[in-house]
Amino acid sequence: MSKKSMYLSISIITMILGIMLAIQFRTARFIEQSVPADRAQELVAELSKLEKDNIKLDGEIEDLGYKLQQAKKGQSQAQAAILDELKKARMMAGIITVSGTGIEVVLDNPSSPSRRTSISIIRDEDLLRVANDLKGAGAEAISINGYRLISTSEIRQAGSFINVNLNRIEPPFHILAIGNPEKLRSSLEISGGLVDYFRDLGIVVKTQTVNSVTVPGYGNNLQYRYAKAVKG
Amino acid sequence: MWIGLWLAALGLVIGITVGLNLPFTVPQAYAKYMSVAALAALDSVFGGIRAALEDHYDNRIFITGFFSNALLAAGLAFFGERLGIDLYLAAVVAFGVRLFQNLAIIRRHLLKK
Repeated sequence: MSKKSMYLSISIITMILGIMLAIQFRTARFIEQSVPADRAQELVAELSKLEKDNIKLDGEIEDLGYKLQQAKKGQSQAQAAILDELKKARMMAGIITVSGTGIEVVLDNPSSPSRRTSISIIRDEDLLRVANDLKGAGAEAISINGYRLISTSEIRQAGSFINVNLNRIEPPFHILAIGNPEKLRSSLEISGGLVDYFRDLGIVVKTQTVNSVTVPGYGNNLQYRYAKAVKG
Repeated sequence: MWIGLWLAALGLVIGITVGLNLPFTVPQAYAKYMSVAALAALDSVFGGIRAALEDHYDNRIFITGFFSNALLAAGLAFFGERLGIDLYLAAVVAFGVRLFQNLAIIRRHLLKK
């Protein structure tokens, strides 16, 4: 009886032991193949931390995107303003071709040689006076024989020729001006004005208001070699 | 006496076969306790065989010893884990030493006969 129970319990106990050992073998093998428990916990903690970071950074992306959008909006506005300013500046400098209502003045020496006297020859000062009167009447752009008058333009006698923008020009002189046509014309044709004066001298003058006159831009390279901007 | 040994070996083989085919493993967190418990159980079995060879085998002592040793070892490992001390090492050393002692004694008994 005692022996029997001994055998029985030994068998059962060793069986239980066998099961325990086998499970332990398998568990150990499983652990070898997989990440250690503490490492897994570490990774889980890291993952949750990174997820939190991710959410935070997502918010930041949104925020920065909004700011960027605002900045872009501002930038395009600023760019448009700068381009507008540039266009205005170029127009004021006279380097772009412009068109508008205006007046065309043609000055020529008398056609028949017999009527040509020394005073009927057109000189630089005649052209200067025309330009001056046109400017006084509010001309916004003036050109003489296709040469645009800008702030540095000269109209200067060079022997028997006249130089404009360092280019030699010859009669007949076509002067184009953009502005109020009536004002421009009346400033020249006022009695005792330039037109009367030229006719007295024997110079052929024609004035004509034009609905659309195109004044070319200054063709040469505009460079300041000596002048430098002073910062105010 | 040899019947007991053969029965023990047979039980072990059957147990291992069953265990290898069981569909579950111990979760990683409890693997340490399981290993110490298995070591304690192994020691108890060898202790039982030794007692049988020395003719003062007691069935109740054997069975309670088996379970209490296993539970104590696992409990010790668990407690050590909570305290931050590797207390399971104590179980491993104690049971390991006893295992070798038991084995030596069993060997002597077997060789004497």
